[in-house]
Amino acid sequence: MIAMIAGRRGAGIPVGILVLVLLPLVLMPIAAVFVFALRGGMDEFWQALKNEDAQFALRFSLLIAFLTAAINAVLGTYAAYVLAKHRFPGEKPLTIAINLPVAIPTVVVGTSLLLLWGPIGLFGKAIEPLGLQPMFKPAGVLLAHLFVTFPYMLGAVKPLLDELEVTYEEAAYTLGAGKWQTFRYVILPALRGGLFSGTLLTFAHSLGEFGATVMVSGNLRLRTQTAPLYIFAQFEAGNVAQANAVAAVLAALSFVIFFFLLRYSGSPKR
Amino acid sequence: MSIRLEGLTKSYGGQPVVKPTTLEIEDGELFVLLGASGSGKSTILRMIAGLTLPDSGRIWLHGRDVTGLDPQQRGIGFVFQNYSIFRHMSVAENIEFPLKIRKAPPSERARRREAILDLIGLGGFGNRFAHQLSGGQQQRVALARALVHEPSVLLLDEPFGALDVKIRSQLRRSLKDIQRQLGVTAILVTHDQEEAFELADRVGLMERGELLEVGRPEELYARPRTLFGATFLGAGTVLVGRARDGSAQLGPLALPIPPEVEHEEDARVRVLFRPEQVEISATSAGVPERGVRLLGQGTIVERSFLGALRRVRVRLPPIPGTRQASPAMYGEEGLLVDVVLPAEEDVGGPDVWVSLRGWHILAPPRPRLLVCDLPDQGSPAPFPLVRGLLEPLNATASLLAVTPDADQVEPLRASLPERAVAQGVPEAEPVVRRGDPAGEIAAEQAQSLYDFLLLNLSGGRDAGILEILLERLATPLLAVQGEPVTFQRILICTAVGEPGKADVRAGGWLARRLGAEATLLHVLTGGEPAPWVKAHMDAGLATLRALEVHARSTLRPARTPIEGILAAAREGDHDLIVLGRHARSPGERSRRDDFTLRILAESGKPVLIVPPDE
Amino acid sequence: MTADRSSRPGRLALLAGAALLLYALWPWLPVPGRAEKPRTVIFYGFSILGEAMTQDVLPAFARRWQERTGERIEFATAFAGSGTVTNQLIMGVPAQCALLSLELDAERLAKAGVIPPGSWRRLPHGGVVNRTPFVLVVRKGNPKGIHDFPDLARPGVQVVHPDPLTSGGANWALLAEYGSAARRSPGREREAGFASLLGVWRNVSAQAASARAARTQFENGFGDVLVTYEQDVVEDAAAGTLPGEVVYPPSTVLSEHTLVVVDRNVDLSERPVLDALVHFLWSEEAQRLFVKRGFRSVEERLNAGNPAFGAIRDPFLVADFGGWNRVKKEIVDGIWKDRVMTEVGK
Repeated sequence: MIAMIAGRRGAGIPVGILVLVLLPLVLMPIAAVFVFALRGGMDEFWQALKNEDAQFALRFSLLIAFLTAAINAVLGTYAAYVLAKHRFPGEKPLTIAINLPVAIPTVVVGTSLLLLWGPIGLFGKAIEPLGLQPMFKPAGVLLAHLFVTFPYMLGAVKPLLDELEVTYEEAAYTLGAGKWQTFRYVILPALRGGLFSGTLLTFAHSLGEFGATVMVSGNLRLRTQTAPLYIFAQFEAGNVAQANAVAAVLAALSFVIFFFLLRYSGSPKR
Repeated sequence: MSIRLEGLTKSYGGQPVVKPTTLEIEDGELFVLLGASGSGKSTILRMIAGLTLPDSGRIWLHGRDVTGLDPQQRGIGFVFQNYSIFRHMSVAENIEFPLKIRKAPPSERARRREAILDLIGLGGFGNRFAHQLSGGQQQRVALARALVHEPSVLLLDEPFGALDVKIRSQLRRSLKDIQRQLGVTAILVTHDQEEAFELADRVGLMERGELLEVGRPEELYARPRTLFGATFLGAGTVLVGRARDGSAQLGPLALPIPPEVEHEEDARVRVLFRPEQVEISATSAGVPERGVRLLGQGTIVERSFLGALRRVRVRLPPIPGTRQASPAMYGEEGLLVDVVLPAEEDVGGPDVWVSLRGWHILAPPRPRLLVCDLPDQGSPAPFPLVRGLLEPLNATASLLAVTPDADQVEPLRASLPERAVAQGVPEAEPVVRRGDPAGEIAAEQAQSLYDFLLLNLSGGRDAGILEILLERLATPLLAVQGEPVTFQRILICTAVGEPGKADVRAGGWLARRLGAEATLLHVLTGGEPAPWVKAHMDAGLATLRALEVHARSTLRPARTPIEGILAAAREGDHDLIVLGRHARSPGERSRRDDFTLRILAESGKPVLIVPPDE
Repeated sequence: MTADRSSRPGRLALLAGAALLLYALWPWLPVPGRAEKPRTVIFYGFSILGEAMTQDVLPAFARRWQERTGERIEFATAFAGSGTVTNQLIMGVPAQCALLSLELDAERLAKAGVIPPGSWRRLPHGGVVNRTPFVLVVRKGNPKGIHDFPDLARPGVQVVHPDPLTSGGANWALLAEYGSAARRSPGREREAGFASLLGVWRNVSAQAASARAARTQFENGFGDVLVTYEQDVVEDAAAGTLPGEVVYPPSTVLSEHTLVVVDRNVDLSERPVLDALVHFLWSEEAQRLFVKRGFRSVEERLNAGNPAFGAIRDPFLVADFGGWNRVKKEIVDGIWKDRVMTEVGK
């Protein structure tokens, strides 16, 4: 009742304040990207996008994002399943460790990956002679993205698993379902919402990842330059129009992703 | 035979959850496992389903040994307390799930789904999801899902536990109908006695991992064997008296013991009477004429209205030689008796006469031994003796280990059962306590009801433990020295202080079970025996003979009682000395304990120390 | 809620996702008629080189190489501040050759074991591929009347400067600011140089990570004057698209850009291409392309090819101050870092 009255009468002022705060903080900068991208007209916008480097950066970023989302969907679900179903010593520290990439700056993640796997890194030195050197290659970018986005997948799936009663699986067993059938028909569908939003979140984060990528990619145009790196490089080189065109595409993609996220996983299915 | 369990056991962390259980269930039977939470009933159900692996024992379903099979291969239906309806599937999809797994064609699936939905009364609900159903409806769906693939056995784990009372009774009726119609063998687990009676063809009563009694509800209600059975299966009063001349003696009242109930003369006897077997009346006049037994006059302390019936609780003054076992009493003198009457009947009161229309004698309990196993104190359990005693006494044993170290509790708990098995007493129940040995032994004997306490003194280092233990002794303590396997010649000493009856009874009871002969000894330290000595010796001898023990009595002159006892034990080649621990004051008790310790030290023989009756 | 509602987002997202995936994968799909992947040379360069290399010099070499051998080659390139490039090389990026804006960075690479010490000095011109003097860019109409480095020290002048810690260009700028004053005051070079640096750095209002970034800042309206490479601004100045005017100080340094070849990233089969590329960079064709893009050639006669180059009365080289090792120790660290920056910081 109180909420209804507030909704009818008193909402104007708080909502107005919220919009006023959001305007310069969020809405206007995003609008500015589009405005600047299109300042020179659609023609110039398309020209900027058609540039080989820009095309590569966008495709490469998308590809990495797809791979990251797909791999993390599997790894994240597995990790969540193990953490939710098994009680073992060191479970808590492990959970914290897995979630660490959220807390530490992505640049630090990149640096540590480099110090571990890079040519002069701890492991990197050992695997270099074998011809295995993930850093400054697409594999390195993928590795960094997997690492940085892993917690998002876990965070989306694990709460759902935690909520499932233990007997959920047992019920399937008693009905005749094997371990795989149980996972396929009973567990996985129950996780659908989490998988969906986790995958989208992972995709979006990978698409925009900068800090770790800049460290491990070597920033090679047409090789390892992702869209955010391209934007930064072009901006630094003074090619604001080029940068803005790609930035506008990234922003638009993010909008679509978050539209899906809000629209379809906002109301949890029970 | 639909279901057969043989010697099924399960323990977690060394604590037995299911003790060796053997059970057979007939085709089409609805069997209810009834017990409090933690009694092990759900574990048995889960072992039958294959969700929990037994430690030992075998399971047959329809003649097929399924002990090592996965749940999927057992062809069972299982209904969980929390329904476990798959939330992302509609009702129809849920019910078709087991058929889909078995690759039934869609038309067949639809046909059977509709049939079972009609059977459970949810026709037309196929497109709903779990969250659109009430709890009762969800449980019906769970039932349909568990039955649709026509399992040979239906297992239900507290299926109505989460529902409110009204729906529960509705569902019970439809469950029974459906089970009858399909003719499926079912086991239902519940803690609700009423539910068990209403549903069961037979009830299995579980307590602390043990299947105590199995029988038809009527049978179990009217003639339980155990105290737990008597109290768990409905209200009732249990009084403990003594067996005298084929009757249970409750004060002045002698209730005949039916010949099929085994009992021993002078042993404790437990008498159960249900509230509906009790009558109350304003006068005692004319009671015996109606063929009922007058228990005594009491005061109504509580009345409650139950609709058609009225429950009345009456307090009677204490009856000598009679103790109340149920309902539980807290710090009350006297006895409480529950009565149920038609509500419209005028009770009158507050002072009423209580008489019994019927009664039931419970089976004598198996004696329980508490065996202390303290190898670190140089006092390992006297396993040869325990092995020698268990069968003739028809006793059960608990093996008690004590450690002061919290870190050692879990390893000990894990290793103790193995030790019991290795020492030839696999059925001994392991008990692990943390703390100081004497204190923990005393606490354990006080908390659980044991008949004998066994402590090995051969290591010679635990006089300290013994001293502390003696002070808090509530159970006869068998202090073991040497390596006895059984006892043949028992010396019962009534030499010192006020002679009691407890020592004679305990010694006699042992002698009878072991087929030993008993010698009743009194040491004369000066001149002629007082006349009361002779009377006492005769009474003791009579008690022993009533127990069918081969007994004689001796009066032995000696300088001190200790010398007399030691000489008698030596000369008579006795292998067990029985001493009472009667005393009127703490000072006297302490002298008495010094006496006991000296007998122990100087005789080198096992000694049974018997505390007085309370 | 029905089953239908739950499958809809999946289908829509799936469709959108599939379209995106197809787009992303397109260049990698095995479409018939697509050429084999050509051989790749990995080239790292400092930031202002970007356009000259990717649009002119490297494509020209690729053409020459194909004419000569019939083999197609492709370049993977990355451009960032010279210090950043050097750090990346030390961390192990697979660069095969790199053009640094500062010989000092080559020394750092040698010290880190990436290249043999002094290896670049065995290349033509001691490894110097091209040069560019340091100049000043002021706002249109030169409202603050800035004509030489001492003018930067006047109160109220705001200087945009790249950061000497990450930018090779910034180190050159330091030398320009120090050297121009020192050469005018024989006998008391150090005092004059110190005074000049202190004057400039008191007025530095914005520091950027690279010379390019400094220019972007200036173009976005920061400061009154930008210290930068001639190359970076000469083309726009000639075309009239520079938001400012170029001022040539009477005396300034000609920065020299050093090529290093990272042998450990070059396998035997790639050796000929790399050798050819190195040779090509000093060819008349490449040098003319550099001149066209605003770099001054190491061959003085070719510099007439770009009419936009301004005259400098007294240009000097780092060699005039004893080479980079000494300049780094005595001027950058000894005077700028230890004395000027502590003074400015007060």
